[in-house]
Amino acid sequence: MIPKPPAEQIPNASSPRARLDETELREWMGEYQAGRLEAFDRVYAAIAVPLRKYLTALARDAAEAQDLLQEAFLQIHRSRHTYDRDQPLLPWVFAISRHVYLMSLRSARRRPLRGADNLEETELSFAVPPEVDGLADRLELRAAVARVGAERREAMLLHHVWGFSFREVGAIQGVTESAAKLRSSRGMAELRGILKERR
Amino acid sequence: MIDETAPPQLRDRIARDLAPVAPLKKPWLRAALALPLGILLLFAASTVYSLRGDAGRLGWTLTWGLSTIELALGMLLIGMALRDAIPGRVWSPPALLASLGTALAAVFLITLVTWRVSPTRILHESVAYVTSVCFGYPLIAALPVILFAGLLVSRAYPLRPQLAGALYGAGAGLLSDAGWRLFCHYSDPAHVLTAHLGAIVAATLIGALTGRLLRPRS
Repeated sequence: MIPKPPAEQIPNASSPRARLDETELREWMGEYQAGRLEAFDRVYAAIAVPLRKYLTALARDAAEAQDLLQEAFLQIHRSRHTYDRDQPLLPWVFAISRHVYLMSLRSARRRPLRGADNLEETELSFAVPPEVDGLADRLELRAAVARVGAERREAMLLHHVWGFSFREVGAIQGVTESAAKLRSSRGMAELRGILKERR
Repeated sequence: MIDETAPPQLRDRIARDLAPVAPLKKPWLRAALALPLGILLLFAASTVYSLRGDAGRLGWTLTWGLSTIELALGMLLIGMALRDAIPGRVWSPPALLASLGTALAAVFLITLVTWRVSPTRILHESVAYVTSVCFGYPLIAALPVILFAGLLVSRAYPLRPQLAGALYGAGAGLLSDAGWRLFCHYSDPAHVLTAHLGAIVAATLIGALTGRLLRPRS
């Protein structure tokens, strides 16, 4: 049985990755692998919100992101034996979730890109990259982020919003560290361009 | 503070299937499980048939030495496939190109060095027969390795199953060729780069297909 951590140690799931306690996450994941349901609850509580935001950013549809989140957790459960406790948990989790999204995209042979209309405010209440903060209000920014090219947007959000290193972003996206860096910086440049254009 | 709980339906599904699982060992340790097969292949052709006739001229380095390098490269590719099958540990395109390119370059280099020291050609009337033997036998010998590596990879969670399959297929092809070249004494690059390399390429394609067939399904 895992002892319940004091309230201040329960990760705030809406906070960026940097504020999630990686050591605790790994510990809980290990307990989850050992078959403890309480550990699954803790892992879920810690990562569900950032994961939903990530899936929302990929799918641009809050309702779909919720479905994808459930599927992602089922796949995480199914592949839990592949998690190596010597490695950080979040790149593993995000890589599986990305795969779930790509599979859904493939199977649905999906629709053209949508706008940000279906995004709920809560889903994008993430920290704004400091480089663009103040250039626009949140609504404007939300629409602008949604217009950034998919891979660039993903790299940009993974790094600037969820705090992954470029090496981890590369591992999630299946590219080199420098390619991830390039995607992110091009995403930022594109975002700045979109925001300037709208003014 | 948000302390989100899992929806009851999801939690129930998880709870129903919450058996303890043993975490997978490191990819390189798991790749080592294929090593006995590789060593078996290294010795098989020269033991069952005979060591190539020009082995004396080539010496230990250009026979067993180069085949051991090929074996090591094959094992490396299998290890890479196993790592690629772990979410968040996938290889970048440059790393993949570099490893497959190194394997290809090694085959070219081994062929050229062997040809330079001991040039042997196939008689014109035997070309078709020898080519089919040197394509077919190593390919057949690679199949158990492909299947074994495929099962190892499918035990993980490959997000790019075909790519992982191509990697272990190429690895299996190299392991097989490492042994076969110790029997086949025809060093003519035209022969080696069609029959022997052709078998490696075919093993790569079969590996990709195997990866697809053994991929995890939702």
